[in-house]
Amino acid sequence: MSFLSASFLRKAAVVPALVGAMMLTACGGGSLGGGSGGSGGTSGSVKIGLSVPKSGTYAALGKDMEQGFKLYLTQNDNKLGGKTVQLVETDEGNGPQTGIPATERLVTQDQVSAVVGLVNSATASGLANTFNQNKVPLIVANAGSDKLVDTPSDYIWRTSFTNGGVNAPMGAKVKEEIGSGSVYLLGSDYAAGKEQVGGFKKAFTAAGGKVAGEEYTPPFGATTDWQPYLNNVRNSGAKAVYVFYAGSEAVGFVKQFKQFLGGTGIKLYGSGFLTEGSVLDAQGDAANGVQTSLHYSDQLDNPKNKEFVKAYSDAYKTSPTVYSVQAYDAANVLAEALKKADGTTGEAIGAAIGKVGQIDSPRGTWSFNAQHDPDQKYYLREVRVVDGKRVNAVVEELKAG
Amino acid sequence: MSTINNEKTTVDPGTKTPAPRHAVRGGGRRRWLGLLLAVVALLVLASVPLWLSPYPVTMLSRILAFALLVVSVDLLTGYTGLPTLGQVAYFGAGAYAAGLTGIYLTTNAFVQMVVGTLVAAALALVTGIVAVRTKGFVFLMVTLAITELAHKQAEAMALTGGSNGLSGIPGISILPGGEPIALVGYLYWWVLFVFALGVALSVILVRSPMGRSMRGIRDGEERMRAIGRRTFMVKLVAFTFAGSLAGMAGTAWTAQARFVSPGDMAFALAAIALLSVVFGGAGTIWGPIVAAAIVILIRDEIGAIADGRGGMILGFVFVLAVFLLPRGIAGLSRRRAAAVGPTPIAGEGDEL
Amino acid sequence: MDWFVANSVTMVNGIALGAVLFIVAIGLSLVFGTMDVLNLAHGSIALIGAYVGVAVLGGGASSALSFAAVLVAALVGLLAGVLLAVLTTSVRDHLRQAMLTLGVAMIVGDLLLMVFGGDVKTVPPPPALAGSVPFLGAPYPVYRLVLIGVGLVVGIGLWLLLEKTTIGAVVRATVNDRGMVEAIGVRTRLVLAGVFGGGAALAAVGGLIASPLMGAQPGNDNLMLVYALVIVVIGGLGSLKGAAVGALLVGEVQTVGVALLSGYASFLMFAVMAAILLIKPAGLLPSKHGHGGGH
Repeated sequence: MSFLSASFLRKAAVVPALVGAMMLTACGGGSLGGGSGGSGGTSGSVKIGLSVPKSGTYAALGKDMEQGFKLYLTQNDNKLGGKTVQLVETDEGNGPQTGIPATERLVTQDQVSAVVGLVNSATASGLANTFNQNKVPLIVANAGSDKLVDTPSDYIWRTSFTNGGVNAPMGAKVKEEIGSGSVYLLGSDYAAGKEQVGGFKKAFTAAGGKVAGEEYTPPFGATTDWQPYLNNVRNSGAKAVYVFYAGSEAVGFVKQFKQFLGGTGIKLYGSGFLTEGSVLDAQGDAANGVQTSLHYSDQLDNPKNKEFVKAYSDAYKTSPTVYSVQAYDAANVLAEALKKADGTTGEAIGAAIGKVGQIDSPRGTWSFNAQHDPDQKYYLREVRVVDGKRVNAVVEELKAG
Repeated sequence: MSTINNEKTTVDPGTKTPAPRHAVRGGGRRRWLGLLLAVVALLVLASVPLWLSPYPVTMLSRILAFALLVVSVDLLTGYTGLPTLGQVAYFGAGAYAAGLTGIYLTTNAFVQMVVGTLVAAALALVTGIVAVRTKGFVFLMVTLAITELAHKQAEAMALTGGSNGLSGIPGISILPGGEPIALVGYLYWWVLFVFALGVALSVILVRSPMGRSMRGIRDGEERMRAIGRRTFMVKLVAFTFAGSLAGMAGTAWTAQARFVSPGDMAFALAAIALLSVVFGGAGTIWGPIVAAAIVILIRDEIGAIADGRGGMILGFVFVLAVFLLPRGIAGLSRRRAAAVGPTPIAGEGDEL
Repeated sequence: MDWFVANSVTMVNGIALGAVLFIVAIGLSLVFGTMDVLNLAHGSIALIGAYVGVAVLGGGASSALSFAAVLVAALVGLLAGVLLAVLTTSVRDHLRQAMLTLGVAMIVGDLLLMVFGGDVKTVPPPPALAGSVPFLGAPYPVYRLVLIGVGLVVGIGLWLLLEKTTIGAVVRATVNDRGMVEAIGVRTRLVLAGVFGGGAALAAVGGLIASPLMGAQPGNDNLMLVYALVIVVIGGLGSLKGAAVGALLVGEVQTVGVALLSGYASFLMFAVMAAILLIKPAGLLPSKHGHGGGH
């Protein structure tokens, strides 16, 4: 009988062992009480969480964000608003399945006073309850879904953009450029693609523009061949194409557009993500002349940006992207809030973010609107070669959409 | 030499003599010990919110919901010999159904659980009629297609929030008209209840004559047919039951996360659920549950602090497990028990 | 007829995509057919091939460098294949093979991310093939036409190798009766490692020549794996002709299919696969030897 009980003992050991493993990470004290709120770290310091993708498809964006955020810390002696920062980092991964637990850990286990980051909109939406319940502010530094939460609270803020907002200013502009001609719309077939293209479409049709056709292609790298769609574009007689693509799809699309429609006189417009960051290098010559709308370009001619671009390039040997600026500004927002906040608890910081007013940013000054999204300028950018380097040259500031 | 067939998925041909899948039928005392152990484990798990802080309790809630999904994969893969990547489709269906019930109908947790389970059951029945006509690798690919099609449907539909996911789900309540639960400790107890119910039903199933028929199909479908069994019906019932169980797990997932996204019915989740079964020991209940816990701990706990290297660490664990645990985690206790002597079918006493 | 003319360019695109996918998928099919190993690290090998292109051609392509990249990709693929063959020799259970090879895939994916970063990288085609030629009244990229040619050459070459040579006879015999082949003095483990290495070399080269179309970035390994699995199961496991038919079908579905039914583009490939499997569970052209031949 002894061997039987031995095998059972081993099994019996499993549950307590697992629970014990969790105990090692626990503070004890039970979980039937109310939400705690970031405890705020020791006096003179503040604990901040950074949740960006370090693995998976969005690792490159995550790196830009991490570098932007850390640049601000380096420039300010690792302090935000006079408080020394204890930074706790985590990996957001590819989507909510990894992003939500990892970020929850920052709030409920590491007890940070605020969290910055999040590339994925679903991850951000899925975490809203956690931040509201625990009274810890979340500063979303990328995720762009038009409506992140139903009602804005002290604990959900965004320094990036809304998908529709980026493209709306292009509506009137494209109408002005092509006059009575029509535009063909193409985008990635998921929520962000539809919101981005939708933002343009709404403003464009409101300005009296005509839509020649609208198609959404399988998302997340599944589309590698745009020739059939470009064929439809040609047959539709459209004068221009307006698109949203990012990552590898942005590269593939721009190259094939040049291949199949180059020389036809059909113009390519799009959301700024089409030509932002490393995809521009990968697109090469094919990107020349593409016009896009975005709230930033490293070519912006203002003193704050010049200083930022120089510091960033010196530190990381690469140019900053819109993702770097969004995270850099998130650090700036936290610094301003901590100056005004009564203490370093999540609750105090959350309330203070509402009072930060204008943020002096490399993208130009901006402030939070009633939805807690940035009220900011958008720029018309054109891909040009400047001093031997392919860049998003700033053509003009776009009028609000 | 054919596609993944029944024998191959379950018997480890590394050993020369065909080893029994299960330990001996253990006799009364062993069964009582198993029951006692289950009760002790349940009591320990139930006491957790009293002394653990919110984060580990949330983690345990996630583990329990995922583990129930893994058990549903095991019922098909381990017990019936049908390797599946399709259970996340029913898991997601249950999760979305519970979430939508919460938003539009009632916060009552029992209602959400029943609705989610029934929706998943209906979906599993309809798709199962098609899927169980195949087996082995083809079955695996058909179930992958089910998952992909369900995933894309969730991404495309406005009702489910598309790729942004379904948010704004209110907290569950237990009593009719009661207050919504917000605190993670109470949520955990609900998830634990669903988990225990699901596991209990599964144990009852695999010990029933139905469970014996499932193992019969796994160990030789032709033989079953030869003695006049209608294997199609057995497989369809097993498929539908497993789908319902996955849906039930999905409702528990929604209860604790209050959020569902298309990723909850994606290939990546299907793959780690299937690997958890192999890692834990296909054809036992307790092994895959333990494996599910380890997999989630590595992905969410170690992955979060390992500077993005969570996937690599999990990969190493899987590779090592292939060589160090030839019969999965459950094999740790079975190796010795098996020495008693081979019995062709079922060691009921072996399941938690 | 009008429809045909309007979509003929799209159809040619589908053939080009099919040709690349065939080269990637055939290794998965042969390894499963001859060695009975389900290699879920197959997509990772294709991604390794793409990154070989990034490493060799990232600074700009020349004909010599492009040729070198193909050789390096083939060699790296061969090594990876032999390594996987060794790892999987003692693992006969399909589910444990899946755990082993998917574990390897997770490790390789992270390693590639660490070495090459998360940015999208593109690989230029050889300069001589980078241009366009007039085709049905519109410019058409030469590179895609070349891909079709490469696919044909690989397909015919493999068919000759497997059906008309002694090596092919030994491979087929090994599948049917390993003991008999060993008795006449052939070391079957070498044969099998050769099949695994050769299949992986093709996958790596396939990943490389696909990279001017698909780029190289994290996640493409899973994409390629899923494509390959779908092709192999549609065509019939272990079947060379089946893989060719499956690859062409997937290529056309992903081009002509999505163009005609763009609202359902995301669903199309899996819906077609499911439909085929329900009618012909063994695939369209199941292999004559090996599968279905019983134990």
